[in-house]
Amino acid sequence: MDFIQDQPGLSNLQVSFFRKKTIINSLSLSEFFDKNFSQNVINFKSLDIVERNNQKGKVLNSVFNFHSYSKALLVDIVNKNKLIGVIFLPLENNPPQNLLALILNFKNQIECQIHIKNIDKKLSKSNKELRNKLLEIESLIDVTEIINSQHGLKQNLFENILITILSILNASKGMVLLKDEKSGFFNVISQFNILKEELPSKIIRITKGLMKELNESKISKIIEEPKKYEILKASQKNCIASPIITGKSVEGVLLLFDKESRSGLIKFNQQDLRLFDSLSKKVSLAYDNIRLIDSLKTSNNLVDNIMSSITTGIIMINVLGEIEFVNHSAKKIFSIEQEGTLNNHYFMVFQNNPNLISLLEASEIKDEIIYEDNFKIEDSSQTIHEINLTLSPVYNEDNERSGVVFSFEDLSGINKIKSTFKKYVSENIVDELLENENLLELGGAQNEVCVLFSDIRGFTALSEKMKPSEVVYLLNTYFEAMIDVVFSHNGTLDKIIGDELMVLYGVPLKNKNDSQSAVNSALSMFKALEKFNEQMTNENLPNLEIGIGINYGKVVSGNIGSERQMNYTVIGDAVNLASRLCSHAKSGEVVISKSVFEKLDSNRGFNPQKPIMVKGKSKEIENWIYSAI
Amino acid sequence: MNKVTNIELTGGVVVISTEGYLNKDLGEEIQNAAQEHISNGVNKVLINLERSNIVNSIGASILIELIEQLQESDGVLSFCNLAPIIEKTFKIMGLTKYCESYATQEEAIAAMS
Repeated sequence: MDFIQDQPGLSNLQVSFFRKKTIINSLSLSEFFDKNFSQNVINFKSLDIVERNNQKGKVLNSVFNFHSYSKALLVDIVNKNKLIGVIFLPLENNPPQNLLALILNFKNQIECQIHIKNIDKKLSKSNKELRNKLLEIESLIDVTEIINSQHGLKQNLFENILITILSILNASKGMVLLKDEKSGFFNVISQFNILKEELPSKIIRITKGLMKELNESKISKIIEEPKKYEILKASQKNCIASPIITGKSVEGVLLLFDKESRSGLIKFNQQDLRLFDSLSKKVSLAYDNIRLIDSLKTSNNLVDNIMSSITTGIIMINVLGEIEFVNHSAKKIFSIEQEGTLNNHYFMVFQNNPNLISLLEASEIKDEIIYEDNFKIEDSSQTIHEINLTLSPVYNEDNERSGVVFSFEDLSGINKIKSTFKKYVSENIVDELLENENLLELGGAQNEVCVLFSDIRGFTALSEKMKPSEVVYLLNTYFEAMIDVVFSHNGTLDKIIGDELMVLYGVPLKNKNDSQSAVNSALSMFKALEKFNEQMTNENLPNLEIGIGINYGKVVSGNIGSERQMNYTVIGDAVNLASRLCSHAKSGEVVISKSVFEKLDSNRGFNPQKPIMVKGKSKEIENWIYSAI
Repeated sequence: MNKVTNIELTGGVVVISTEGYLNKDLGEEIQNAAQEHISNGVNKVLINLERSNIVNSIGASILIELIEQLQESDGVLSFCNLAPIIEKTFKIMGLTKYCESYATQEEAIAAMS
């Protein structure tokens, strides 16, 4: 400007802009723009010479005051096809060409400067926007990284996500609420920069307030009147809220309060909401995954617990023949460790069991379940086990073969128990006990039982006339017949003392009517004795005669004896009385006490007898006798 | 919460330590703390952000103003103990072109003194 004004004839040159503030600031030329007039005041061509005395000149003179000159030169200054100012030069005569060229050059320079400044401004604005976009992209990456680095830790996940989102959106405060699965209430799981008294103090449900609105719309929103809502009481300007959705239900909410600016708190705008919504959707997805993982873990734990606790051995073999899963029982039965078993081919793991390998090979070809009972396998310590096994093919969701499940029960223990117990009780009782172990009280308990004693009459004298081998044969055959009868009535063989049998009804398991069972058993024993005697006659052996005594009463049952020898038995007065009644019974007789008689559903054949005195009892004992002869 | 926790002058460097969210309020608190020393002729400012793990662009823009102010008196602004997320934000906001970042306060003072 100084250069121009120094040129001859240009000392009175002035430049004026219509939108003064912007241009003056941008060009730092304020001292030259003290004229204030609207572009509507004058209307001129791009280059115009105005006579002072004509209409246009008069208007111009009121602004530029050039009354000492006869005319003035006006040159437009244009930006983006708009007239933004003028160059004004008062003249006496028409300007020479060189002066005109200088002024036009000056006009071009001004227009170029303005153009460059505008480009600079745009560039600066674009740079700022670009930086913000970069921050947004980085924040999206950060959120993704946070999500990927968290494995099911809800609290950590939401704390990290909250501060990342809060920071990128210049929010002053924020919090995350999640639904409690049990109560259904929404609780603050993470918060930032919120005072304790600003936290929600009331129960927050999906059925009211902001949560209700979010549940209905299921979209992120700007809340312009935060004071309306209890959970937004920390906000002064406005809030942005985004529901955390898994499936179709709102499981939580992300809340940001009051945007910060250099001049103080301001409101979030639609652009903020857009970014917030996109970030929140990522969070929803992450939360959905966390819940899925949680649920899978719970299911896996449940399956693991079930698999570990069941006595059935389970081995899962994949389609490649590799072992994918072995439960506790399977490891125990085969005496194998997890290491060295998992991911190994069954050929290696079961190399001691060629028969099992053959079965597994067969199962790989067959599309049906293979069952094998009493199958013998050898464990790693070369102990033989008997198992019942099932090989079931497994298919994936595309119905393709994905492997085979090898499940099996170890029969060794069961067989041992059965063979032991079956010496004493009927098979029914053994089975029931094996199925319901809690029914068995071996520790010692007071029970009401029915006790049956049977005794061979005159056996001592008889045995003296026989060979020992004949005695053994006779007795074994007799006991076998009697015990069959006892078991068929659910009796428990307590002991055999010489030629005497002691049988219990009601332990270890109660029957519907133990007295009736004992009596029925006794009557059946006589029938069985008839058959036995027929057999003995045929074998030229002597016949036997028996007497039976039965009493019902309280006994103490349990494992009684010393550490060296301990037997499950019963003791008590009721036992002694049964024994005494047996002694009282003559051949072919069943003697029962009053306690038995009163419990019988059918007492036909039992006749009342004169009360008797027995050893150990001060009072006479009422009794009834059935005679089988 | 969000505050300047310590201001000390060591070896001609004013060290401003903070805690919490480096937002507008904390940014202005830092600016005011630095201002007091700048007017007394100190032109080296170190901000220790060890206990701040979150920043927003408003907080960062206030620090840019502080950098500009220090540049007028040929001074410098430096940072130490930056959390990765803050370092990234400073980088994106263009702060790191005009100021140094040090791992520890001791390292920073040694370099600035």
